[in-house]
Amino acid sequence: MSAFSVENVNQIFGSGTARVHVLHDINFEAESGTLSLIMGPSGSGKTTFLTIVGGLLTPTSGTVTVNGIDYNQRSKKQRDALRLDAIGFVLQAYHLLPYLTVADQFTLVDKVKPKNNLSKEELNAVLEKLGIKNLLHKYPSELSSGQQQRVAIARALYPDPAIILADEPTAALDGPRVKVVGSLLKSLAIDHHKAVVVVTHDSRLIEFTDHLYEMRDGVLTKQPITKE
Amino acid sequence: MFLALKEIKKEKFRSSLIIAMIVLISYLIFILTSLALGLARENTDAINSWDVAKITLSSNANVDMRQSFLTKKQAGTLTKNEAYLGETPVVAEAKGHKQQSAFFVGLKNSQFIAKNIKLESGHRVRHSHEVVVDDSLKLKGYQLGDKFKLNDDQTKFTIVGFTKRAKLNVTPVLYGQLGTWRSLRGIKMGPVTSVVASENRQYQPHQSGTKTYTRQQIINKLPGYQAQILTFVLMIGFLMIISMIIIAVFLYILTMQKLPNYAVLRAQGIPSRVLVSATISQSILLVASGLIIGTLLTAVTGLVIPAQVPMAFDVPLLAAVGLGILIMALIGSLIPVKTVLSVDPVSVIGGE
Repeated sequence: MSAFSVENVNQIFGSGTARVHVLHDINFEAESGTLSLIMGPSGSGKTTFLTIVGGLLTPTSGTVTVNGIDYNQRSKKQRDALRLDAIGFVLQAYHLLPYLTVADQFTLVDKVKPKNNLSKEELNAVLEKLGIKNLLHKYPSELSSGQQQRVAIARALYPDPAIILADEPTAALDGPRVKVVGSLLKSLAIDHHKAVVVVTHDSRLIEFTDHLYEMRDGVLTKQPITKE
Repeated sequence: MFLALKEIKKEKFRSSLIIAMIVLISYLIFILTSLALGLARENTDAINSWDVAKITLSSNANVDMRQSFLTKKQAGTLTKNEAYLGETPVVAEAKGHKQQSAFFVGLKNSQFIAKNIKLESGHRVRHSHEVVVDDSLKLKGYQLGDKFKLNDDQTKFTIVGFTKRAKLNVTPVLYGQLGTWRSLRGIKMGPVTSVVASENRQYQPHQSGTKTYTRQQIINKLPGYQAQILTFVLMIGFLMIISMIIIAVFLYILTMQKLPNYAVLRAQGIPSRVLVSATISQSILLVASGLIIGTLLTAVTGLVIPAQVPMAFDVPLLAAVGLGILIMALIGSLIPVKTVLSVDPVSVIGGE
């Protein structure tokens, strides 16, 4: 089942001599229960693609359809609500609120979205898997970069979104932690039937993916998966 | 509120600094307001205690009761709502006391102003050499039965009563008989009073050579009164604007530091209203805390300040001023709110 689809998306920034055509006729479909990896060099348009899929940026042309409705037919408020309910962003820049403990980061989500978040047991399982269960009462300033990134991942998963968009989720993690995050994302796709899309430079994640794409100069192409 | 409380709890030192600023500003504003009110009352207490609505003066008196003289004809026919009132500046001199500037106000015992004077101690004026005086003279050592001379008059006047709220132009009032006023003024014939005061709002005589004013018009023309009030209003107004700017600057800096965090929250679908409400709640919490401490400090000041300091603590007025500071803080918080609303979540996502 398609969680979202992207059709003929083009993104152009600037005009005249400053005009940059970042994305060229992108077509993409993410199915529930699969993990898709989009790799490519810096500046290739991966993150722009992610912001368009997440409804943060309106493409110059083309359509993005989530839950059967085109983003263009949704108001800004509806897009916010959709992101809160259906899309979990795991960002490279995790920027946890410095004055909230790890536990409070989840309480904030509860305040805004009181229903349909992970149950206490499910959250504990995620925290356990990410190795941060004992950090609930710590402030971000008391955590290492890797711990903060794992908290950010847990926070993104807490609203139990149907779609997970991850931007370099393993950038601050060492080898063993990459495996933990990779298997967690894979498990979310398989066991919880979510559509997971990861843009990354990190080839260590390839072993977890179902679909591999390459973004180069704004052109997205599907690649064969060669797991070592 | 959740985010605001959490931030204040975590950033105790930073929050304390802001609260300390608000405490100092609100304390200063409360003290200045009380001082302004105290001084205003010392200018007008006597006039207000007469409970008059209209006052008729000589038309050439420049709205100054001391410069007004009305003949019987000019005073016209008085009803029970009107009263004669003769006012003159005097210097009281008593043994063992420094010279004391005062206003002598001559009244007719049978008329409403004399009847309305509320005595704190002693009795009403019965004879021409008796006076009822403002109780501030007690603080200067005067007691019931004390005698003093007024100006060059050799008559000795006896204090037979004390009354509260009897100050005019920050000077104590000595209430006596109208005949005494004529004698102090050296009037043998002609004028019978300085003014005619009426408690009737519709009072409007049309005698030649007279002009009738409202009580407020008379108060506004008291020497130095308007300048004093305007100076205080200006100071209080500026302090309120300063408090608004301080709140705006502090919150703006705090908000700017949080923008990347807010951008991530926006990317995750946290509505702007949550972040805006956090900013406004934070402003209200900080200012309300500062106001509460400022109020407590003001209350303590009110308890320990010497009675000679002309301060009047009026709870409704101070509450209104406190509300004004809170509103100013809310206005100040609108500047960072504008920044919060313009947070672009894309700014924190990658760099491609």
